[in-house]
Amino acid sequence: MASPWLGILDDTIQACVTQNRPDLAQPLWERRSRLLEPTLRVLVLGEPGQGKSQLINALVSAQVCAVGDDLTTRVPAIVEYAETPSAAMIGQPDQDGRGAIEAGAESRRLLPVPVESVTHRANRDATTPGGDVVHARIGLPRPLLQAGITLVDTPPTGVAGTRNLSTVLSEVLRADAVLFVTDATSELSATELELLEQVTRICPTVLVALTKIDIVPGWRDVAEHDRDRLAAAEVPATVVPVSATLRLAAARNSDRALNAESGFEELVHRLRHDWLGRSEELNQRSVAAISEVTLTRLTTALHEKYAAVQHGSAGDAVTRWHAAGREVEQLQHASARGQTLLADGVADLTSDLEYDLRDRTRKILREVDEYFEAADPSRTWPEFEDWLHDQLTEVAETNFGWLFERFDWLARALARHIAPHRPDLAPDVGGGDAPLEHASGLRKPNVEKFSVGQQLFVGMRGSYGGLLMFGLATTVAGMPLINPISLGAGAAFGLKSVFEERGSRLKRRQTVAKTAAHRHVDDFFLACSKESRDATRRLQRLLRDRYTEYAEQRRAEITASAKQLKQSVDKETAERNRRVREISAGLDTLNELRDRVRSLPGQVRASVTPAPRELTA
Amino acid sequence: MATPELSLALLDRALQLYRDNPRATDWLRRQRARFAEPLRLAVIGPTAAGKSTVADALSSSGRHLRELVPVDTTAVEPDAEPREIRSRCADADAVLCLLRRPWGAEVDLLRAVNEHPAAQAAPVNAVAVLSRADEIGGGRADAVISARQIARRGRREPELRTLCQDVVAVAGQAATAGRTLDAAEFDALSALARMSKEELEAQLLSVQRFAAADAPLPVEAGVRERLLDKLGLFGVRLAITLVRQGNDTQPALTAQLAQRSGLGELRETIERLLVARAEVLKARAALLALDVLLRSEPRPGSAALLGELDRILAGAHEFNELRLASALRADPALLPDGLGDEAARLIGEHGPGPAERLGLREPPAAELHEALQDALRRWRVLAHSRELGAAARRAAMTVLRSCETIAIGGAPARPEYF
Repeated sequence: MASPWLGILDDTIQACVTQNRPDLAQPLWERRSRLLEPTLRVLVLGEPGQGKSQLINALVSAQVCAVGDDLTTRVPAIVEYAETPSAAMIGQPDQDGRGAIEAGAESRRLLPVPVESVTHRANRDATTPGGDVVHARIGLPRPLLQAGITLVDTPPTGVAGTRNLSTVLSEVLRADAVLFVTDATSELSATELELLEQVTRICPTVLVALTKIDIVPGWRDVAEHDRDRLAAAEVPATVVPVSATLRLAAARNSDRALNAESGFEELVHRLRHDWLGRSEELNQRSVAAISEVTLTRLTTALHEKYAAVQHGSAGDAVTRWHAAGREVEQLQHASARGQTLLADGVADLTSDLEYDLRDRTRKILREVDEYFEAADPSRTWPEFEDWLHDQLTEVAETNFGWLFERFDWLARALARHIAPHRPDLAPDVGGGDAPLEHASGLRKPNVEKFSVGQQLFVGMRGSYGGLLMFGLATTVAGMPLINPISLGAGAAFGLKSVFEERGSRLKRRQTVAKTAAHRHVDDFFLACSKESRDATRRLQRLLRDRYTEYAEQRRAEITASAKQLKQSVDKETAERNRRVREISAGLDTLNELRDRVRSLPGQVRASVTPAPRELTA
Repeated sequence: MATPELSLALLDRALQLYRDNPRATDWLRRQRARFAEPLRLAVIGPTAAGKSTVADALSSSGRHLRELVPVDTTAVEPDAEPREIRSRCADADAVLCLLRRPWGAEVDLLRAVNEHPAAQAAPVNAVAVLSRADEIGGGRADAVISARQIARRGRREPELRTLCQDVVAVAGQAATAGRTLDAAEFDALSALARMSKEELEAQLLSVQRFAAADAPLPVEAGVRERLLDKLGLFGVRLAITLVRQGNDTQPALTAQLAQRSGLGELRETIERLLVARAEVLKARAALLALDVLLRSEPRPGSAALLGELDRILAGAHEFNELRLASALRADPALLPDGLGDEAARLIGEHGPGPAERLGLREPPAAELHEALQDALRRWRVLAHSRELGAAARRAAMTVLRSCETIAIGGAPARPEYF
């Protein structure tokens, strides 16, 4: 018989596979194989000490599940129909995790044990280190079990160090219905309610058994409060108050009245008629619930994907592309400005250097002039020549040193301006040699010496006048032309002319020396300033080429990457459109499937499902 | 100097520091005055955990607990703000934390009590009480015994052990009901006890049966309801069993009810763990209060006092003794060869005086001296023994320190403060 729910379940599984979510498909497969089994597997859940095991004992009227006051049940116990009582402990398979309840026992170790002691031994085994019992199986000849109910006793929830929520929920997936046990000594706690909410989302067939009503005078109030709390939390579960103690006492004494008092009649009735008798409806409900949850998760995932595709990395690429354009523009701008800065800087530099050179040479010339006011070039020339050479060398060195220093600074300033993140871009201007050869090569001027002969001649010529003048004058006195007086005057005059001649010759020599020095310094200035300009131009060209090259290179880089970006943007846009179409198609499929789920008859979820909410877990 | 004296000295220094602040001075004076007052015990727990029942039972229990004043028994839900829970315990020297079960959300309450940073340094003032032991055992007559087993397991749980000194089980309702029974009710119990066991048990199966108007019982339905109200089903069962066993006067029944429902053990625990250590607990409470003041109203000099306070808390040997006592209760095999019993005695579990610690009764001084020298010698060897594990060596070190304390000053006798 083809049930509508089976088709829907298969389609939901197919949807999971299509959306590449095997993690969601797995529970559905489990639920599918569970639903196709003829028996109704009832999971008995609850916090510690609520009386889960005792409830099962009372249901089958036999002490098969070990009961105690303190965390007794350590491993699940499966109670099912058998013609004769039988029991076994199921050992750990090779790789599966402890605590899982699996139906297929073929691959496992089976250890037959007496019915009365099986859970005792299983629990003890589970608490001893190295114990490997996964669960206990108990077969009993009871009409309720024969009718198709399998009861699963579970270790308590909500205790640290026992099973976590996901283990519990995965067990719920392998069951058809859940019997939640809470005792009447206190109302449903927040943790219990939370667990119930989680459970009903994947398995809507839930009964809440309110146990221990035999010891609580006010159990009716507790039951009422629990019902209110369940309704407030929108958990579709019926509360059935029961007393296992009374039921077991009734079984011992075959006391029908006591049995009625225990509340188990109603519980059994509900199990038989509401659950077993309407298994088809139960299955539909179960499929509807789990499909709804799965579809919601798939839809949410798709919506998230859609959102991610919309504001995904594509937008990022476009931004980067625009940024690249802006960068090229900025680069051009910076480059043009850099050239202007360079030209300005060089002009300033040239003018400063020339002034400096001129200033320094003039100072030297002034010193030269002062020097030759007194000094006799003929005597001090070599000394002077050395001095001048040193001075000019120093000028050339200082001037050129300054030149390179200024250029270095200029190069760095420009580099900072054009490529702030590339301080290594500025070329190393370095030292460079000053053109020192211009300092030397001072020609010694032709300085006439005042030789002894010349002195004699000049003396003679001077003395002649004196001799004659005084000789003639003394002849008047009757003295001969040549007399001691005239001779003395002649000597005096001769000496005077020699001294005079010597002085004028010195002046002449000094003038010649000054002129020679001036000419030399002028030559030096000319040559040096020429060299300086040449160096400046050379360096200017070096900087200009360097920065132009850099700008070109950057532009090329940016353009290339922008091109690539553009390509990837185009590609991504195309991809995105494709994905959007794909996701829309997927969503359409899911919505259609969801409509079919909601049209399943007899489901309670429709009114209970909270308004479409984001599923996170 | 013992911790209580150090704490008092510190309080005096704080009084000096805050002498111009009337509010702080008042607060400090109150803390100081409390050293002379009875131990204040806060009883906290969620709704219907039986706080007032337990508090009543303690305050009315006469000579044992005359040094105890229960304060504040309003309900605190486990999901309340930790700050609120702490504020309820702020005025108390010790805390009795009632739990219905030793797991899950209820333990949060105990956690919150200990959340104060200074309290964490010495979590020695709380005792956890499984206050509805009868429910845990499904109302059977032996319910308290199985609840005791749960308590014992709780004691061994690492977390619970660090949160409280001990876990005890008590069936609060049945424990206190004995005193409130009137003659008619007591007669009713006697009448019920005279019935045949089978007939009675059938009616005692559930509260409904027992209270039913048409139940075949020799007692009026109204009285039966009152009995259920006062004793609970467990209490009724226990009381009838006790009357059958020969406790046929009301005082005898009352005493037996209290004993069988775990109240005796609770009293004994409180006496041993809290009242006997009242001085240390008061000192601890005073230190915590001072800590609050120093932190909330800092001024020059308060940092130095805080440092001093931390030193006292960290170095207090009394707290180490309490911690070791708790560890020994949780794990009697912590020390080998039955040394655990001697260790418990030496750290003052059976009484704080030197004779009690050394296990002697009114001994001559010489004998005392000899016993002390013997203990010192043996525990010094143990504390450095390589055969013991680290935890055992630490425990032995604490015991040795206790012996040394007895040796240097006599045991910390009750100091005169005022």
